[in-house]
Amino acid sequence: MLQRRVVIPILIIILAAIGTSYAIKAGDAVTLAPTPLQLTIPKGWPAPPKNIYANNPLTEQGFQLGKKLFYDGRLSQDGNFPCASCHQQFAAFASYDHDFSHGFDNSFTTRNAPGLFNLAWMPLLHWDGGINHIEVQPLGPLTAKNEMASNLDTVLKRLRTDTAYPKLFKAAFGSPIINSQRMLKALAQFTGSIVSYNSKYDKVKRGEASFTLNEQNGYNFFKAKCESCHKEPLFTDFSFRNNGLMVNSFLNDFGRMRITGDKNDSLKFKVPSLRNLTLTFPYMHDGRYYTISQAIDHYRTAIVTTQPTLDSALKNRIAISNAEKNNLMSFLFTLTDTTLTKSARYAEK
Amino acid sequence: MKKNILLYYFLLLLCSTKSFSQSGSADKGTIQFVFINTVKGVPVVLNDSMYSNPFGESYSIKNLKYYISHITLANALKTAEKENYQLVDESNPESKIFSISCKPGTYTSVNFLLGVDSLHNVSGAQSNALDPMNGMFWTWNSGYIMAKFEGSSAASSQVNNRFEYHIGGFSGMNNVLKNISLPLPIDHLPTGQAGSLLTIHPNKTVTIFIEADLNKWWQQPNDISIVTTPVCTTPGELAKKIADNYSKLFRIKNIVTQ
Repeated sequence: MLQRRVVIPILIIILAAIGTSYAIKAGDAVTLAPTPLQLTIPKGWPAPPKNIYANNPLTEQGFQLGKKLFYDGRLSQDGNFPCASCHQQFAAFASYDHDFSHGFDNSFTTRNAPGLFNLAWMPLLHWDGGINHIEVQPLGPLTAKNEMASNLDTVLKRLRTDTAYPKLFKAAFGSPIINSQRMLKALAQFTGSIVSYNSKYDKVKRGEASFTLNEQNGYNFFKAKCESCHKEPLFTDFSFRNNGLMVNSFLNDFGRMRITGDKNDSLKFKVPSLRNLTLTFPYMHDGRYYTISQAIDHYRTAIVTTQPTLDSALKNRIAISNAEKNNLMSFLFTLTDTTLTKSARYAEK
Repeated sequence: MKKNILLYYFLLLLCSTKSFSQSGSADKGTIQFVFINTVKGVPVVLNDSMYSNPFGESYSIKNLKYYISHITLANALKTAEKENYQLVDESNPESKIFSISCKPGTYTSVNFLLGVDSLHNVSGAQSNALDPMNGMFWTWNSGYIMAKFEGSSAASSQVNNRFEYHIGGFSGMNNVLKNISLPLPIDHLPTGQAGSLLTIHPNKTVTIFIEADLNKWWQQPNDISIVTTPVCTTPGELAKKIADNYSKLFRIKNIVTQ
């Protein structure tokens, strides 16, 4: 009995000591090593074709640093054009209501800014697929004279002399060194982990909601006539195709051919995702169609059928009745994900 | 007793680290590479000097950079030594001299890749020599510029009479990567002169002077005159033709054993 009285307090003291030492270790880990994150892969989706984070471990601190950079105007020459100036959260990170976005010194871009979501599944970025890795994508807009019009040297100097960034780089990468590789990796941690998967369509697929009759009819039509290119669940197969748009003689943009140098790629552009379609208007690589109705009409009446590289599935255009078009539009409206546009996780503040 | 055991482990640890570091450096020699960019043997002076190409077009040079990587020294055993990436930049003297460590032996050729291997063209943001800040990474069509040669010439009809060759492309039919092999012994030295063979001794440094003669940029197998071809800044057929020419730029000028 006496023995027990002595042993138990001793045991408690020992356990407490062990507990304290563990607590200190855990505390150290939080301040020294960034917190690992997992890329969200929604149920039922294919795995991304490659792991974009294979050489860039996704962490909370890296994501937060990337987010700060994404919203920071100092990445542009005059401070007015952060990434977010063309990629607005309320527009699913596209440019709302703009065929071309505004760049430095009252300039225009020459292609429509796409929404940024589900990029981890996208093998090649940009309308022409010229960018082969998400980490190197920001180099394009950052240096383009009609976009952010800056350069890495200027941007990195600004970040290094800032009071906040060295600490944030240390938290994300272990030391306060600021270089282009770390900046680009942090941006990729933010943009690559934006995943859009909470539209009504997704909820129907998960059994949490059901389509109206019009939406269901539209979905059936979509699966019959559109899905070969706009493949579920990402609503694109990421291929490059000529969908028969008349060449804009001002832009003379021949798409993928500029990258591959292959004339068979003339006028081919990446099949865009139809997710968040209501927010990403206007449509096509040059934003020539302002409404979904016009975009659908392109496929039923306006495809230029004489272009040699026209996609074989579009040779005879697509027969769509007015009733089918209305149903299709009802379905396409279900692809809007307001969880994405309202998420504080992706918001500036 | 316990103290003794701890002491024993401590000594063991000390011995093991020491012997490890010794074996790590003892059996290696060092090769120092010195790249000398010339026009017909005359070292290049940027901006101020005028040169003449095989078509009689006079020109000055503003910028000259190229990547050297995957250096190997070959003998019967084909010993690969280093993957390192070196951006040789005429405007930066330090970039033209660099060293690698190497197993001792006698070698029959010096080999390297002119450019950046395809893997590193598709693996995202890189650092050091491959940092996009070096102005050797295309922002519109991901991939490295393997060699960059810019200047001006009255023969050019381009703005400010400039000529500009940015040679890149790493895959499929646009691939401009060149494996360059410089055989040994070098035949242009008198026999018996020190340096005609490449022998690496442990803990010693051998300096290899490699000359790049820009006069070969313009010809053989493909004629590239400034008047007809002042610019090449995209991957493709023309870039491949120029790369065929520049693959013959290099020769070992001398080898000096210290």
